[in-house]
Amino acid sequence: MSFWEKAKKNKVLKNTLFFLAMLGPGVITGSVDNDAGGITTYSVAAATYGYPILWTLLPSFIVLLVVQEMNMRMGACTGKGLADLIRENFGVKVTFWIFLGLLVADIGNTATEFAGVAGSMNIFGISKYISVPVTAGAVWILVTKGNYKISERIFLMFSVALLSYIVSALAAKPDWHQVGLAFIHPQIQYDKDYLIMVLGIVGTTIAPWMQFYMQSAVIEKGTTMEDYKLALADVVIGCVATVAVAIFIMVACAATLHVNNITINEAKDAALALKPFAGALASAVFAFGLFVASIFSATILPLATAFYICEAFGFNAGIDKRVEEAPQFYTLFAAILIIACVIILIPNAPLIAITLWTQDINAMLLPVVLISMQLMVNNPEIMGEHVNNKFQNAVGWSTTVILITLTLLLMVLPAFDLFKAH
Amino acid sequence: MKLFLYFSQVIGLDIMDAQGQWIGRLHDIAMNPYADIYPKASDLIIRRGSSSKEYARVNWEDIVYIENNIRLKIMGDRLKFSKEIPRSDFTLRRDIFDQQVVDIDDQRVVRVNDIHLLRVENQLYAAHVDVGLRGIFRRLGWTGMVDLIVFLINSKSPYLTNEELIPWKATQVLPKLGRMKSVLKLEVAKNKLGSIPPAALADIIQGLDIFVRVSMFKSMESALQNKVFTDMTLTCKAELVEQLSEAESANLITNIPADEATDLLMKLPREKAHHLMGLLGSETNKKLRKLLGYAKDSAGGLMTTEYLYLKADATVADAFNKIRENINFPGTIFFFYIVDDDHKYLGTTSLRRFFNENPQTLLIDICYPENIHVYTDDSVEQVALLLERYKSSSIPVLNHQDILQGIITIDDVMEELISLVWHKYKEKL
Repeated sequence: MSFWEKAKKNKVLKNTLFFLAMLGPGVITGSVDNDAGGITTYSVAAATYGYPILWTLLPSFIVLLVVQEMNMRMGACTGKGLADLIRENFGVKVTFWIFLGLLVADIGNTATEFAGVAGSMNIFGISKYISVPVTAGAVWILVTKGNYKISERIFLMFSVALLSYIVSALAAKPDWHQVGLAFIHPQIQYDKDYLIMVLGIVGTTIAPWMQFYMQSAVIEKGTTMEDYKLALADVVIGCVATVAVAIFIMVACAATLHVNNITINEAKDAALALKPFAGALASAVFAFGLFVASIFSATILPLATAFYICEAFGFNAGIDKRVEEAPQFYTLFAAILIIACVIILIPNAPLIAITLWTQDINAMLLPVVLISMQLMVNNPEIMGEHVNNKFQNAVGWSTTVILITLTLLLMVLPAFDLFKAH
Repeated sequence: MKLFLYFSQVIGLDIMDAQGQWIGRLHDIAMNPYADIYPKASDLIIRRGSSSKEYARVNWEDIVYIENNIRLKIMGDRLKFSKEIPRSDFTLRRDIFDQQVVDIDDQRVVRVNDIHLLRVENQLYAAHVDVGLRGIFRRLGWTGMVDLIVFLINSKSPYLTNEELIPWKATQVLPKLGRMKSVLKLEVAKNKLGSIPPAALADIIQGLDIFVRVSMFKSMESALQNKVFTDMTLTCKAELVEQLSEAESANLITNIPADEATDLLMKLPREKAHHLMGLLGSETNKKLRKLLGYAKDSAGGLMTTEYLYLKADATVADAFNKIRENINFPGTIFFFYIVDDDHKYLGTTSLRRFFNENPQTLLIDICYPENIHVYTDDSVEQVALLLERYKSSSIPVLNHQDILQGIITIDDVMEELISLVWHKYKEKL
């Protein structure tokens, strides 16, 4: 049973997902993709390097499109989730290590979401020792007992959150000529920090857990190969929307922070720094967007992770089950939520180190997931006549190889740094 | 020699030929599902090479022993290796290992972590499938370590002794690749679903991936299909109909109660519904058209046109005959509606009222004393009030000329009321 079918039985999720499902799996995945981690990376990059780094969103877009199209095709063709397919085709060992990685990375990701909650609430003058436990409690209540009206409002807030970046970007009065120029004539720097930043942007746009999420969403929608063209359109729209939001976030930061030589480390800094240049409204709206995106992903991420793990190993899972019926599922869900909160609440927790570690695990996991996907999408026993054609394979494998090279570089570069220092 | 082996322990074993030369590793075991109660191993599939893999098949009769390695009676050069995996109807690795199966006893879908093999005189039989945590740790090669840790924490932990094994006879293999729209594999693996109550089976099927759902459904006998289809949720019915051929769908719609068929047709895309209507028998078509014409929350929209009726001169004996003829009738067989030659409603009687009566007694004389009925345009609340007041479980529906149009049973009302109450509850929030 897919995550979605179980999620359907919970009222809040059912309704939230229903609204999202009208937009289609591609758009949903894109929306969840612009989470706290994404917003942080985009704003830090734009504050540091200004308009010229906007070009990185172009390759991000292509990679996102290629990977999501494959997920969509696999889901439509097999009717199975990525977790199921990996377990059925690569056995217990591979599945175990992938999901152990996914679990650790997603605890880190969830911690990042709570950092987003803490950061954005801080701007409104609320201490993280209040905002984080309250949010975690709200997430727990939302998942275990919810109702229609609340979920409807949550969804609306989420949409508004996405619009808020447009407001922030416009309030920043950007130089649109330069924005256009950044895409037409990309200016690439060849130093280490720049390269890490580029990797960070591409990496945050395609996190490994998204592939699992995307494929489940396709199955929930009941998409089959007959609907391929429509589904492809949805994937394209989703990718465009994701990248468009990213552009607005980066433009807002580039037009204000970079122009005034302000560098930042966190998304909340961006919201704070916007105030003198783009006004209190733009700042508050940016913080609000960050808060809602964080809380949304903090709900979906632990739930989805617990679900995929249980599904791959054949444990009972789903919020329609009682705790005694699905002990592994609830233990995982609660553990991810609690560990993530505790990490954020530890005074002077090494947040930046945690973020980097999470990025590294994501980076290590991504090639494994991508290679598994490439192998399965080319296996006629799984895909029948819908295996990759030559063009799809060329794009698919080069994407995989480029990403692996880039992520290897990301891991090797700090080592070089050490080497130089000695 | 151990009596039981796990598949995870034999898979990948080295294979030696008659002279002890290494020829490859065990890739898979093909089974003959028809052999005995348990499927019996019929062929070994050997794999060699790492980057470009090659496969060969060896007949089970050519095996000397299976221990820490597998020794063959024949020479390695007699094997024909090819890039394709040799075709077999049913193999352990491809069809069972790591796949989902139905546990017939507990009526749930489970994932197979390992396969428990019975060894009798060098023959292997699939005896159980392992769905427990121990199976996962065995696959990871951690059995010893995990056992030690658990033993140190709690030496009486049930984990140490509890094997979650499902006997083969209670295991239903699912079609692995439903997308291929072939049900062959399921037939090969024997269809054991008949022993699960249809309602539970409908639940199981609704939990499966759409393609598996379709193949599994297609593999059932048509009588079982009808029962299971009736018990599915509306959404699930609609999804299934989208995947089945139109002839198959039309056949299903004809065989489920008319009111449920109406709901289903309303749920489907207009064009599809229209097309299906054309394929239905004229009798069913007429019934459905009538129901489709009424407002959804009116008595007419709720009613079913499937009921048993008799003329005013019918006797108790006639009623019993009618029940015998209609033992598979999709509607209720406990109530009889008495009508005149113009189908004008005269009264209702029930099995309870005439069961102990003289066979010659006229049914019209033992009808319920109160003449309760509703009209097609009455609301669902009125229907519910009447059913409650007279403690009845069904009620006839008439048009304004008192011609009997259909009946409403209490389950239809419950369904409608629950959604009504739910809507009102939601509005209050």
